[in-house]
Amino acid sequence: MEKSYKEKAVKKSFWKTRKGQQLLTMGMFLVIPLTLLVVFTYYPFAEMVKFSFYKMKYSTPVDKRVFVGFQNYIDVFKRDDCFGALRLSLYYMVGALIQLVLALYFATILSFKAKGGNLFKGLMFFPYLINGIAIGFIFKFFYTRGFVLDTVLHVLGASYENLPYWLKDQNINNWSLVATSVWRYFGQNMVLFIGAIMSVDDTLYEAAALDGANKPQIFKHIILPSIKTIVTLNVILSITGSLSSFEQPYVITNGANGTGTYFVIMNEIAHVSQKVGLASAMAVVLLLIIFVCTILQKLFFKYVFREAKD
Amino acid sequence: MKKKIAMLLAACMIFSVTACGETASTGDAPAETKQEDAKEASPEAVGNGELTYASVVLGESYTDLNTTITVFNHRTDMDSDDYGGVTWKEYLAEFNKMYPGINVEITTDTNYADDALTHLQSGDYETIMMIPHIDKADLSNYFMPYGTLDEMSKLVNYASQWSYDGMCYGVPSTATAQGIVYNKKVFADAGVTELPKTPSEFIDALKKIKENTDAIPLYTNYAAGWTMGAWDVYIGVNATGDSEYINRKLAHTKDPFKDYGDDTHAYAVYKILYDAVSEGLIEDDYTTTDWEGSKGMLNNGEIGCMVLGSWSYPQMEAAGPNAADIGYMPFPITVNGKQYSISAPDYNFGINANATEEEKEAAMVFIKWMTEKSGFYYNEDGLPIVVGNTETKLAFDGVEFLEDEPAVEGEEDFINLLNSDSELNINSGGNTKIQQLVEHAANKDKSFDDIMKEWNDAWTDAQELNSIEVTE
Repeated sequence: MEKSYKEKAVKKSFWKTRKGQQLLTMGMFLVIPLTLLVVFTYYPFAEMVKFSFYKMKYSTPVDKRVFVGFQNYIDVFKRDDCFGALRLSLYYMVGALIQLVLALYFATILSFKAKGGNLFKGLMFFPYLINGIAIGFIFKFFYTRGFVLDTVLHVLGASYENLPYWLKDQNINNWSLVATSVWRYFGQNMVLFIGAIMSVDDTLYEAAALDGANKPQIFKHIILPSIKTIVTLNVILSITGSLSSFEQPYVITNGANGTGTYFVIMNEIAHVSQKVGLASAMAVVLLLIIFVCTILQKLFFKYVFREAKD
Repeated sequence: MKKKIAMLLAACMIFSVTACGETASTGDAPAETKQEDAKEASPEAVGNGELTYASVVLGESYTDLNTTITVFNHRTDMDSDDYGGVTWKEYLAEFNKMYPGINVEITTDTNYADDALTHLQSGDYETIMMIPHIDKADLSNYFMPYGTLDEMSKLVNYASQWSYDGMCYGVPSTATAQGIVYNKKVFADAGVTELPKTPSEFIDALKKIKENTDAIPLYTNYAAGWTMGAWDVYIGVNATGDSEYINRKLAHTKDPFKDYGDDTHAYAVYKILYDAVSEGLIEDDYTTTDWEGSKGMLNNGEIGCMVLGSWSYPQMEAAGPNAADIGYMPFPITVNGKQYSISAPDYNFGINANATEEEKEAAMVFIKWMTEKSGFYYNEDGLPIVVGNTETKLAFDGVEFLEDEPAVEGEEDFINLLNSDSELNINSGGNTKIQQLVEHAANKDKSFDDIMKEWNDAWTDAQELNSIEVTE
């Protein structure tokens, strides 16, 4: 009798103990975000991976979808347009590097006392706040023959005959698109860099100044090592971003005329040709590529970091 | 505390009761309305008493219906009060004079073709939709039938467009012819006295425009994309004079893009475009074309012509002060001494198969009214929908109109399968292939015959993949 009462008390009290209460609270708080995460991220993703093994259209009812094994993946590697589109990412990667260098340059200048610093920060960050679709339309007209860019260059002395067709000429049009991408995102990179530079201890600058270091030396030996983490992060984000660039080519050129990036081609395959399985396989392959790129970059930075230590 | 529990319980009970009530009523509804139909003895509600297009008598059936239906469609322009023709608001006001109890809510979308598919896929879509590109086999999953195809073909033209297994699932909103919209004044100024009837005459006419006027001879509207896909329409009746070509023969044809040697078939259609581009008879920078702007340019005589369906005719007239200058001519291909034009239905109205019985009735009434009473097709410069009606604003002298015959039973999906697998997407958004054709013509990096060979190969592969029988 007494024993069973005791057992009961022990059982009852687990959720009332400090640990039990902690677990309970943790569980309760986690339920909502975890549910959202599973329902809106992992479940759709799992579905997409499943789709990539089927030959199906969006409108095909579930029971009529045909299982094709790895055929879609084989197709991704066999088709010219899928991997050909990845070549375009090189343009965007070069753009991303230019963007980071620009951002770092302006961030360094603006984090010291420059006249009208806040105004410039605002102006350069502003493009990031504009909707990507709007930017697309702005630049479509910007590059149109005889419109904004041509007029400005004409005022500067270039004759209309010598100006290229910014979107028609296949040697140039990808650079035109990359330029819009740089214009849009470099402000955001810059603000992140400024934030990181601000957090560098002021006494270091003072000490450096006392030791007679000039500005480039301060940048190289104090600023750069202190913000290494942010630089690494920005590089990784920019590179993965350039692998999955979509908005600029989609809105400005519709992916036509040799500007169809991987995402644009994927969209075309999924929504026009309705090869949902193939498009899903493309998405999974891109995910793997991004994984590999990220890991390689991590290793690269680890290597650089170690060298710096030595 | 007890009070709260009691309240909760009560709320639960009320909720479950209403829930039960709802399921019960929806479950019983079809049976009930069937009986009511029979009792009201509407003369047309014959036989099994099911709701069909034929059974609705406008102004007599379902006049006491009180419900709200939703309509999803692509005519964003008709939402605006500035629209030159009759707006949705005006149509609805007219409709409510006859059926005051039916409230119609219209949603329009500029990206209709894609968004409509998304709506369908979500399972929660509007009562009436313009049927987007879906496989015919899936029609019955999404839309309710209007009646048998036999019955419907006696009432409306183009009933076969969205039919499957002998049932009809779509009624066209309007119908269009396919030719070329052009500026009469530009053609006259250039010295083109007779409308071109063959590809070479057409290219000559474009050259004359280039030499003698400042206008752009042919505006491709490349950047808009769909304006390029619009070229696909001409490879059927217009280029072959054969009403069975698109739906019955194309799927079985070996190398449909080959040169037939007599300026007909798909080869001749796309060659017109290729030649026009390679000879510089199109706009200077095709990558930055502007569709909305092009309408005004055609109206003002800055453009000679554009290859678009007759639906574009009213828009070009409305785009500027020179409505009288705009004309519509047949496509310049002559088959055995005769020109043909396809007359094809525009988007079809489809009724949500999962709607309640009341909504289905209201939707049926609304669609029949749109078809028979609204004058919609006439206002939009289209061809008549109701069988026997010949009133229209279009005039193609000496051109024979043909409708595409439906696919043979059991082969309804062939074209869709081939389109998807070959990725040519003929008549279903295959803009990219034609944009690429323009690029190759402009950059002179691939000959026309090579492009046609690629398309033939893709078509052949798709035919093999789907094991479709091929005839020479």
